[in-house]
Amino acid sequence: MEKTNKSLKKTLIAFIIFLIVVGIWKPLALVYGIQRGGLYSLIGLPLALILGIVGILNLAHGDFLTLGLYIGYIFFNSWSIDPLISMAPLFFILFGLGMVIYSILIRRVLKAGHLNQLLLTFGISMIIIELIKIIWTTRPRSVYTSYASSSVTLGNMSIGMYEFIYPAMAIAVLVILQLFLKKTRLGQAASAVGQNPKGAEIVGINTNVVYLVVFSIAFGIIGVAASVMLPRTPVFPLSGNPYTLKSFALVAMAGLGNLNGILIGGITLGVAEAIVQSIPGYEGWSDVVFFGILIAVILLNAYRRPES
Amino acid sequence: MKRIFLVMMSLLMVFSCALAAEKPIKIGAVNPLGDITGDQATKAMKLAVKEINDAGGVLGRPIELIVIDDEMNPAKGAAAIERLATVENVDFFVGGMGSGVHLAQVPILKKYQKITVWIGAASHQAEIAMGPDADWYFHLHPWDYQQGEGYGVGWTEIVHAYPNVKIEKVFLAYEEGAFGTDSYTSYIDLYEAAKRGEGSWKEILKEFKGASFKSASLGGGDYRAMLNQAKAFNPDLFIWAGYDADAIPIVAQAKEVNFQPPLFVGAPPGWPADFGKNPLSENVILYGMWAPTLNEVSPVAKHFYDAYVEMWKEEPATYFAPLGYTNIYFLVEGIKKAGSLDKNAIIEALRTIEYESPLGEVLKIEPSRIIKNQGFKYQKILQWQKGRQEVIWPLELATTQLVYPFKFGK
Repeated sequence: MEKTNKSLKKTLIAFIIFLIVVGIWKPLALVYGIQRGGLYSLIGLPLALILGIVGILNLAHGDFLTLGLYIGYIFFNSWSIDPLISMAPLFFILFGLGMVIYSILIRRVLKAGHLNQLLLTFGISMIIIELIKIIWTTRPRSVYTSYASSSVTLGNMSIGMYEFIYPAMAIAVLVILQLFLKKTRLGQAASAVGQNPKGAEIVGINTNVVYLVVFSIAFGIIGVAASVMLPRTPVFPLSGNPYTLKSFALVAMAGLGNLNGILIGGITLGVAEAIVQSIPGYEGWSDVVFFGILIAVILLNAYRRPES
Repeated sequence: MKRIFLVMMSLLMVFSCALAAEKPIKIGAVNPLGDITGDQATKAMKLAVKEINDAGGVLGRPIELIVIDDEMNPAKGAAAIERLATVENVDFFVGGMGSGVHLAQVPILKKYQKITVWIGAASHQAEIAMGPDADWYFHLHPWDYQQGEGYGVGWTEIVHAYPNVKIEKVFLAYEEGAFGTDSYTSYIDLYEAAKRGEGSWKEILKEFKGASFKSASLGGGDYRAMLNQAKAFNPDLFIWAGYDADAIPIVAQAKEVNFQPPLFVGAPPGWPADFGKNPLSENVILYGMWAPTLNEVSPVAKHFYDAYVEMWKEEPATYFAPLGYTNIYFLVEGIKKAGSLDKNAIIEALRTIEYESPLGEVLKIEPSRIIKNQGFKYQKILQWQKGRQEVIWPLELATTQLVYPFKFGK
């Protein structure tokens, strides 16, 4: 326990030093990185929650995000409801959708092995994409809110304010999730199920209910992420798809069940990406750096684990 | 007995001639139906076929259009041509959109050498693949290098027509895929030519710079680093070559970083569904082959527009719609002029006809760098004004004046 705390402290110190150095070297890259990294963390958290507790890698994660974006777009386009206001209904709509998906599909493959689970969620992903294409075509849509491109000027830098909502929401979601997992009976049960499902069943925890609730909460968070993204994100059938891989990468980097690590990892990767994008001529290297850092961290973790 | 046999034979011949006369002329189209460009091009093709058949067909025979979806997949695009040639036994090939798909189709097209009238595939790589000997191949969409030349011609004429417009420094933001990098390469060639005092940009272009970005279509969507580079360069003309998904975020993020170039140009193949409604679209310039406002200056464009809306209960939103319509009419005009389905006669006819298209200009065939039969050469310069795409150049087709300099909509 003490070793873990020490390791966490070291990671935090290294993370803060990294941010300070980048802030001095490339202040704009730091701002963009924190904003973008906040978004990665916000989207990565629900995937981490499902993977950590239910034990399923949801390959349709990003496509449910796309679905959330379309629902938010409908709220805005049909009833002029601001995306930040439609956050509440989106949470509950996606929460309900999560309940349905879990009850009808996911529950059936919990014991079917990882390959079948992957194939199932991959199938769901394909169906969502194709249905969206049929209903809305591939033509991008968007919502306009004047605040989404608001900025403040500091010296010769013009800094966009809206995207600070991403890290703020990621922190808020993380705090609420931690409170839920540590302070509520259902949350404690979920943590127990995540660590040892069979043991949890033996002590009388209804794992099925836990999975259902966790799965639905994760979907609700996807709805929240969709609503905060909507003012800045074009809506088209593949809007959310790339976030599946990035979220999975984040979870792999942070380690299974490490929700705090998702935030640190997301911002680290976001800042690294922003640094690369700010160097003229090297803009195209951002993915190489993103996944390069991921590989380095995983290797480092693998190297440290046998030692500890 | 002999007489009865002769009568029967004569009746049989008359009957089979009548049957042959009614046998439709088959046109095989390959389009990406899941994409708005392919969807609307196909609908426009069907409209043209309906109009032609309602007017009695061509050579006394109806037209039959057989459409296969390539799903923007090169393998499926190539298989579609194979199927149209062998299973459907079509007489002609039409359609097309993406260059990647077309590159896979070129070898199959070469195998069958049927008359092909293609409306997509702007990449010069497709022209190289087709080569100079394919006299049966007609390409209507301007090649990428022609588009670059055309913009030079257009901007030079605009500089002359509007004395307050200055275009000396150009910045190109290009998506990092094949489409964007091809655009960048084309602009580099044009810039090098301008430095040597050659090409269509020679009169105006003094400095050029480019930076790539990851398109939102491919998982990107943060353009601020690129926009800060552009802001530091302070261009007179800022162009971004990406996809429709990038259109709104790029303007929104340009506003955020306070980058307001005098000319803000977007060059995606299509625009988002509600771009015109977005206040940020105001005064953004675009390159395209067509705009609904052409209805005000071209009766053919107006006829096409009204007929399309009546048939499909939707508005054509991409220039591939009038291009698809042109695709069928141009081919049928060629058949009509040739007076038969003889391949050489049709090729000759297609090379000589002048078809007044709904794109606002007359379609004439001329050689391009490699192929013998190239249709349109240039795109138009348009500007979003109050939610409408107005034609700025060609000046003779202009539907309004250029609003300059660009200012962000409120």
